Amino acid sequence: MADTNQVGRDRSYEQPDNSSATVSRLAWIASGFGLLLFLGSVGVLGYEGLTRHGGDPVIAVTVEEVTHDGNRWHARIRADNSGGSTGAKVRIEGRLQSGPTVLETSMAEFDYLPAGSFQRGGLYFDRDPRAFELRLRVLGYAEP
Amino acid sequence: MDITRQRTLLHDEAHFARALARASAGAVIFALPLLMTMEMWELGFYMDRFRLALFVAVTLPVLFGLSYFAGFEETFCWQDDLIDALSAFAVGFLVSAALLSIFNIIDAEQSLPEIVGKIALQSVPASIGAMLARKQLGQQDAPNEERRQRSSYPGELFLMGVGALFVGFNVAPTEEMVLISYKMSPWQAIALAFLSLGLLHSFVYTVGFAGQESRGEDGFLSVFLRFSVAGYGIALLVSLYLLWTFERTGGLSPMELVTSAVVLGFPSALGAATARLIV
Repeated sequence: MADTNQVGRDRSYEQPDNSSATVSRLAWIASGFGLLLFLGSVGVLGYEGLTRHGGDPVIAVTVEEVTHDGNRWHARIRADNSGGSTGAKVRIEGRLQSGPTVLETSMAEFDYLPAGSFQRGGLYFDRDPRAFELRLRVLGYAEP
Repeated sequence: MDITRQRTLLHDEAHFARALARASAGAVIFALPLLMTMEMWELGFYMDRFRLALFVAVTLPVLFGLSYFAGFEETFCWQDDLIDALSAFAVGFLVSAALLSIFNIIDAEQSLPEIVGKIALQSVPASIGAMLARKQLGQQDAPNEERRQRSSYPGELFLMGVGALFVGFNVAPTEEMVLISYKMSPWQAIALAFLSLGLLHSFVYTVGFAGQESRGEDGFLSVFLRFSVAGYGIALLVSLYLLWTFERTGGLSPMELVTSAVVLGFPSALGAATARLIV
């Protein structure tokens, strides 16, 4: 029993006394890469924590393009959060106005709008938004 | 360089490459439930950056300790354990990154901290999975005397902690943890605590799984207090830490906080019990 154990060890493993001298190149590469990824991710997250700790979401909405899909007009919107925390359930309202008269309103909701990130969505209208004044408003958010 | 030494090096290289492949398989298998959990992607970008950074930082000592007890390479000195731990982290990180981009959870348009956060959070269970892979998926070696000697009492407690962390982590991100604690009455919470403790004890000492511990000379009460009660304490602490990390503790009353720790303590205690069987 002791003999077979010894043979098995010889076949698959280094002897203890010379193992430290023969750490393979692949092992160095893999562990160096691991160290890089580890320090990199902790570094990025720590830096984010220092510079973006707390604060409120600051959300800006812009229209990217307006298309017609055959049935309705479609305004593609983009919401940017430049604030320090994430907004959840962010509701965006688009109002199509002609002077003081509101012609149409539509609504979109983003599940999450992470700090420093943006999300895309769309608003549908029956009239061409380019022919009127399109006002975009962020209605509110919830903390995640 | 003589021929035998060169052959040893090559052999070692091939051996390590196989170990890496096995580690990747382990990372995929163990991290899959979490990689496909919606809450994990969301937590990856909205959870507090400091708590996430701390969580990732804690992973490295855990991997180091796991390598010492059950690494994917036979180790003989602490440098080897460090290499093992870092390699496992690399494997876990890369596997998470690859799968998250295939699922289109991360893409180039997202901000760097968002991408890093999502991958880093997933790489915690993935790298632990990579580390466990050798033991779980590799060929079974003959019982290793050197390794046996390492299982001291602090070592046992450490392994229970890792088991609690790993299994608890698998359910901690979900909404259900808090939801279950809202639904439970205090009496049901107490019953769950006793059930967890009872299962923890019987999984290790009486049911007869492979690797079961023998009580040896010690009496029931001594073993129960030193291992099972201590293990459950660790499971509760790990549960609290996980709840805090995932920001499930904010705004809870002390009663609800304890109840959710007991709810998460149930899977954690089972993890603590089985860790001693599998690692």
